[in-house]
Amino acid sequence: MGSRHEFGFLIFISRNLTNRPYRNIVTIFAFALIAATLFSSYYLTAGARQSLDTGMSRMGADILVVPEDYVSSGEAVILIGQPNSFFFGDSGFEKISRIQGVSKASPQIYIATLFASCCAAPVQMIAIDQRNDFTVSPWLKQNKGVTLGKDDMIIGSSVIQNVGNDLIFYGHTFHVVGILEKTGTGIDNSVFTRFEDAYVMADESSLKAVQKLVIPPGMVSAVLVKVDPGILPASVASEIQKQVPGTKIITPNGLLNAVNGQLGAVTRLLYGSTLAVTIVSVPLLGFISAMVASERKKEIAIIRALGASKNYVVKMMLAESFALSISGGFIGIFAAIIILVGFQDFISSSLKIPFIIPSLVSILAGGGSALLFSIVVGGISSLWPAVRIIRSEPYETIRRGES
Amino acid sequence: MTSDTILKGIAALLFFLGIVIALTVWFIFPVCEMHGQYTETLTGMKLPMPCGYSARAETGIGALIIVAGGLLMARRTPETRQAVGVFSLACGVLVVLFPTIIIGMCRSADHPCRQLTLPALEILGVVVIIIGGYLLWKRE
Repeated sequence: MGSRHEFGFLIFISRNLTNRPYRNIVTIFAFALIAATLFSSYYLTAGARQSLDTGMSRMGADILVVPEDYVSSGEAVILIGQPNSFFFGDSGFEKISRIQGVSKASPQIYIATLFASCCAAPVQMIAIDQRNDFTVSPWLKQNKGVTLGKDDMIIGSSVIQNVGNDLIFYGHTFHVVGILEKTGTGIDNSVFTRFEDAYVMADESSLKAVQKLVIPPGMVSAVLVKVDPGILPASVASEIQKQVPGTKIITPNGLLNAVNGQLGAVTRLLYGSTLAVTIVSVPLLGFISAMVASERKKEIAIIRALGASKNYVVKMMLAESFALSISGGFIGIFAAIIILVGFQDFISSSLKIPFIIPSLVSILAGGGSALLFSIVVGGISSLWPAVRIIRSEPYETIRRGES
Repeated sequence: MTSDTILKGIAALLFFLGIVIALTVWFIFPVCEMHGQYTETLTGMKLPMPCGYSARAETGIGALIIVAGGLLMARRTPETRQAVGVFSLACGVLVVLFPTIIIGMCRSADHPCRQLTLPALEILGVVVIIIGGYLLWKRE
């Protein structure tokens, strides 16, 4: 009996909704807008955070030490892969590995490659010291059989070339031996090679390249630091700055703050839009529900005269509202996902943030929150009409002939 | 809403989508050559990049979708509806396939054709496919 009653109730709700298509389409659109803006804010923040996490775990460092004048250049290399060349002014960076709390220190050389033709944009070349490296080495361990030998190169996922083919930088030919997984950060736009090959490339550049490349002997661009387990990176960072003058520190938290700063305006705009749409929608939807309730006074009075309780009628009105809010919520979230996934490269490059599609759990959490919010808005907006119906008397309504 | 009203709406939507597809590649989310980016040959001749050729194909497909929409607007018989359904389905598939597989876009991830034109065409193509599928699936 119970299931038959539920089935009848659902059919009843669905018929009520299909009888007023235009008005319901507008209502669904309002709920879709609320859910889409709320979900988009969550998605963008989660995508940027996860991208940064993936990028930093690929770099494998707790701290990045750069020359003090090149902090923003260092951040740009990691966050968006904006090609930069810079070096320490003296060899003080060599002391970093001996500082207490430093587990491993890996020097890197950053070289911005040249603009070649219409379809070959400059990329960030990162030369690694294979004896101390912990950026590419873990990847090489995972990919058995791949070695980074003489003139070999491992490339980021956005660099256009296939494994086995060659890439030419400053007139020097490199052989692509591997492609890293997508991180959404600047690493995707970087190519990794060995110190030795970078020096050879620089030596040959005066003859082979349109522009000579100078790598100051013995100098590096940055030192990646892994701290001892149980030691706070912040304390090691301040010790490095104390003992090695002329250096600045980049930490994952600092990068996250930089990303939040860039993303802040957009998320504020989206959360503001959600708030504005909600503030406008709640009374509007309430008014629409009240209008529908008023139009259906006679119909509802007959339903009640046939034996339906006040609870049943309220349940019916709330179910209609929830059905609209759930449909609108799903449509809004689905549309937002399609647009955000489709245009993710554009979003990332125009906001200048690292960005990757968030994990399924994050998407479900964001979608669930947005949907729940739509349902709550739907519930609130149908409360007043429901109360009005409870207060009305079916006999009086029918007698007065209200339609 | 009656079945005829729905069909009229779908016909108008198809007509509109055809116009949007044809305009997207040149004006709404223009391809690289509209930004002044060309491939230059050794002799200095400027040629459109792959996205330019995809754009030309998309303009043609957009025009065909406009015709399909117009046809459904003029005649809403079951036969016309099914024919327009099959035709739209094929056109939608081509809208997606031209910039992805058949011709393709520029390979650089930072080119405007990759960042904007391609996702826009993919979304529009899928919408046309859904409409075509609906027209085919719809009962009398």
